[in-house]
Amino acid sequence: MNYAFILFGIVFIPIAGSLLLPVAGRISSRLRNLLALFFVLCSFAFSLTLIPLILSGGTLTFSKELALGFNFVLVADGLAVFMACVSSFISAIIVLYSFDYISHYENQNEYYFMMVLFLGSMMGLVLSGNLIFLYFFWEMTALASWRLIGFFREKTHVLKADKAFLVTIFGALAMLIGFITIYSQTGSFDLAIIKESLKTIPVTNLAVLLILAGIFSKSATLPFHTWLPDAGVAPSPVTAMLHAAILVKIGTYVFARLFLATFTLDALWHTVIPIIAAASALVAAGAALIEKDLKRIIAYSTISQIGFIFFGLAVGNQAAIAGGLLYILMHGLAKAGLFLCAGIIEQNTGIRDITKMGGLFRTMPVTAVAFLGCAFSVMGIPPFGGFFSKYLVFSGAISNGRIAISLVFLVGAFMTILYLLRLFNLVFMGEPQTSQAKEKSRMMVACVMLLAILSLAGGILVNYPVRFIQTAIQGMVGMVN
Amino acid sequence: MTSLLILIPLFSVMVLNLPSRTMMRRFAFWLSLILAASQVCLAAFFGTDLWNNANISGSFFQFNLAVDNLSRVMLFSIGIVVLAAILAGRELIKDENRQFNFTNLMLLILAGMNGVVTTVDVFSLYVFMEITAVASFVLISLQKDRDALEASFKYIIFSALASVMMLAAIALLLMVSGETGFPGISHALSNLPTSRLTLLAVSIFICGLFIKGGAMPFHGWLPDAYSAAPAPVSILLAGIVTKTLGIYTLIRIVGFVLSPNYALNNILLLVGTISIVAGALAALGQKDLKRMLSYSSISQVGYIIIGLGCGTPLGIFGAIFHLFNHSIFKSLLFTNSAAVESRTNTRNMEELGGLAERMPCTGTTSIIGFLSAAGIPPLSGFWSKIIIVVALWQAGFHAYSAIAVMAGAITLAYFLSMQRRVFFGKIKEELKSTKEANFNLLLPALLLAAITVGAGILFPFVHDTFITSFFK
Repeated sequence: MNYAFILFGIVFIPIAGSLLLPVAGRISSRLRNLLALFFVLCSFAFSLTLIPLILSGGTLTFSKELALGFNFVLVADGLAVFMACVSSFISAIIVLYSFDYISHYENQNEYYFMMVLFLGSMMGLVLSGNLIFLYFFWEMTALASWRLIGFFREKTHVLKADKAFLVTIFGALAMLIGFITIYSQTGSFDLAIIKESLKTIPVTNLAVLLILAGIFSKSATLPFHTWLPDAGVAPSPVTAMLHAAILVKIGTYVFARLFLATFTLDALWHTVIPIIAAASALVAAGAALIEKDLKRIIAYSTISQIGFIFFGLAVGNQAAIAGGLLYILMHGLAKAGLFLCAGIIEQNTGIRDITKMGGLFRTMPVTAVAFLGCAFSVMGIPPFGGFFSKYLVFSGAISNGRIAISLVFLVGAFMTILYLLRLFNLVFMGEPQTSQAKEKSRMMVACVMLLAILSLAGGILVNYPVRFIQTAIQGMVGMVN
Repeated sequence: MTSLLILIPLFSVMVLNLPSRTMMRRFAFWLSLILAASQVCLAAFFGTDLWNNANISGSFFQFNLAVDNLSRVMLFSIGIVVLAAILAGRELIKDENRQFNFTNLMLLILAGMNGVVTTVDVFSLYVFMEITAVASFVLISLQKDRDALEASFKYIIFSALASVMMLAAIALLLMVSGETGFPGISHALSNLPTSRLTLLAVSIFICGLFIKGGAMPFHGWLPDAYSAAPAPVSILLAGIVTKTLGIYTLIRIVGFVLSPNYALNNILLLVGTISIVAGALAALGQKDLKRMLSYSSISQVGYIIIGLGCGTPLGIFGAIFHLFNHSIFKSLLFTNSAAVESRTNTRNMEELGGLAERMPCTGTTSIIGFLSAAGIPPLSGFWSKIIIVVALWQAGFHAYSAIAVMAGAITLAYFLSMQRRVFFGKIKEELKSTKEANFNLLLPALLLAAITVGAGILFPFVHDTFITSFFK
C-alpha cells in the first residue's frame, strides 16, 4: 500500500485548510475555530500513525524528480516524525487556548489563517528532504510569524514584526548561499544525494558558517537573538507557539538534520558551536535576571535554553544528542505553558511589568500551580521532564570530556533557577498590588494545567520518548559514522 | 495567424475612428477587453505550433514573424497586463473623450508590442518599438498636467537618443552581415572574426536597450515617467512596455542572436548588479508610493539582466521567467497603488496608514505582490530568483550571486516599510471612511495575484510544462 498520502496529509491539510479559514470565518467564528483545531489535529494524527513504522526501523519517502536537483522530496524518518509529533501536538493545545484568548480581538480570521499556515509550513519543513524546499517552507514560517507578531497593528508592534522578519530573512538568505555552495559541490539539493556525495569529502567551512547564520537567526541565538524578546508584543498564544515552542526549534531541527544526519562537520565546529551556545545561554540568562517585562523574561529564558539544545547537539555523542532532542520536547511543553500562563496573567490584569504585580497566587491558584510546574521543568528539577533532558545533555558532554564548557552551562542552569524563581516570587507571592484579577476562562486555565501535567508526566514516563529518540538517533548517526 | 496579432488591433483602431465615432465609443472598451483576453487565452493554451510563421516578401523588404516559447511567454504577459490596464483605465479615467483616446492608444500599443515580440528582423523590431514608444509618450501625458508633460518630454528625449543609437547599430549590422534578419545576423557574426565595427554596433545597440529598459545608470527618465503617468498607464509602462522594449529585446538579441561573448556578459553583470543594489537603495528612501515602485522596478530589471549576463541557458531561462514574474507582480503592485490613490487621493506614504483594514482585498493582494518581488516562497518570484542565483553560481560568478541573494534583504526592507506605512498598522483617523476599490480594480488585482500564487505553488507543474519545453 502506498503511504505517501500520509506525508501529504501532514503537510498539505493544514496549508490548504488554512486558506479555507478566512472563508469559514465569514460563516461562523465557531466553525472556523473548530476547523482550525481539526486541521492541526489531522497533522498530529497522521504523524502519530507513522510512529510504529519508525519504531520498526523503517522510513517513508515520497519523491518527484525535478530538473536542476530541485527534486520535491518528503521524508519521514525518526527525527522528522519526532519533530512533527511534538510541534503539531503543542500547536493543537495552543490553538485550543486561543479560542478564548483571541475572541476579544479583531482580525481573528487572519490569526487562525496564519497559525494553521504556520503549522503546515513547519510540517513541510521537518519532512522535506531537499534543501530548496526546506528553504521554501522556512521562509513561509517567517512570513506567517511576521503577520502574527504584528497582530495588534500598533505602530511599534508592526516595526518589531518587520524587525523579526528582516533578521530571520537575512539569516535565511545567508543560509541560501550556503545551500548553493553545497549544491555546487554536489550538484543537487536533494539531501539523500548530498549525503552520498559528501561521504568522502568534508563540507566546506564557508557553507557551514553561512548555514549557521541562518540557523542562529531563526533560533534567536547570539548574535541574532534581539528579535525574539521584541516579538513578545504578539498575542501570548503566538509567542508560545512561534517563539517558544516551535519556531525557534526550527533552527535546532535543521542543525540536527544537516549537521548530524547529513554532513560530517569539521572538528573545529564541535568546539566553536558550544562556545557560541554558552555565550548565548549566559547572556540571555543575565538579561532575564534584570528584565521587568513578564514576557520578555520568558523570551530571554527561551534564548538561554536554546543554547543548551545546541550544546547537546554539537557535542555529538549519543547521550548528548538524545538530550538535545528530548530538550526540544520538554522545553516546548514547559515554555509553551509559561507563555500561556503569562497570557492569562496579562489578559486579566492588563499589565506586564512584574514589579507592579504580586500576590496573584490567591486569585489565580491554578495558573500559579501550572506556572510553577512548567518553571520546574525548565529549571530541571526532578521528576519533571526538563530534568532528564538537561541531565542527558550534561552527562553526554562530560563523558565526552567537555568539563570546562559543561561548568559554564551549569552556571547557566543555576541562573535559570534564579530568574524563574524571582519571576514566580514577584508575580504570585507577596502582597497583592493590583485589583483582584480572576482567571476568567476555564479553557485557558485547563490548557496551561494540561501542559504542566504533561511536563511532569514526561518526566515520569520518560522512557517512552527516549526510546523513540534513540531509534531516531540510530537512523541519523548510524548512517554517518 | 501570427500576423493577426498585429493586424487585428490596428484595424480595430481604424474602425473605431471611422466617422461614426460617437457610436463606436461604447464598443471601444469591450473590444479592447476582448482582444486582450483572447490573446491571453491563445498564448496560455496553445503551443507554438498553432502559430504558423508569416512571411511577407516584397521586392525591397522582407517581413517575417515567428513565435517561439519566448514570444509566447511575452504574448501572455502583454495580454494580461494590457487587460489589467484597460480595466483600471475604465475605472480611473473619468472623461469620456479621454477614455476613448486611452483605449485607442492601448490598442495601438498592443499591436506594437505584439510586433516587437514576434518579429524576426532588427529593422521591423525597431519600427514596432517606435510605434509602442510613441503611443506611450502620448499615454503618459494623457492628463496634460505639468508633471506628466515634463515626464513625457524626458522620456521622448531619452527614447530618441536610444532610437538613434539602435538605428545606427542596425545600419552597422546591415553593413557587416548584409541583412537584417536575426538568423542572418547571427550567422554572419559567428562566422566573421570580431571586428571593431561589430563590437561598436553591438555595444551601442545594447546601450540603447539599457536606456529603453531603464537599467541603472540609464534610468533617469523612468521614475518620473512611471509616477507622473495616469495610474492605468503606469501599470502598463511598468508592467510590460519598458520590459518589452528594453528587456525582451535585450534577451532576444543577447541570448538568441549574438554569440556568447565574455566582455558583453561582464558588462551585463555589472550593469545588472548596479541596478539591483542602487535601485533597491533608492527605493528605500522614497515617500511617494509610485516612485518607490519605480525604483523597485529598476532593481528587479537588474535581476533579469544578470540572469542574462551569466550566459548559460539556465541563466537566460531564469531571466525570462523573472521577466514574466516581474510583469505580473509589478502590474499587481501598480494596480494596488492605483486603488489606494483612487480612494485616498494621495500617494504620499506618510499620509497613509492601516488601509488593509478598510481595503482588505487591495491589502492582501499587495502583500502577495511584494513578497513575490522580494523572492519569498511560496510565490513565483522566489523560483525565478533562485534559478538566476543558481545559474550565476554554476557559471562561476560567486560574488554576483551572493550580492543578488543579499539584495533580497534590501528589497524586503523597502517593501516592508511600504506595507507598514500604507496597509499594515492602525488605521489613521482621517482614513476611516475609505472604501474598498471598485470591481474594475479588484478584478485585475485578484487575477494577477492568483497567477503569482499559482505559478509559485504549482511550480512542479510549471516546471513540467514550461521549463522542460524550453530546454528541448
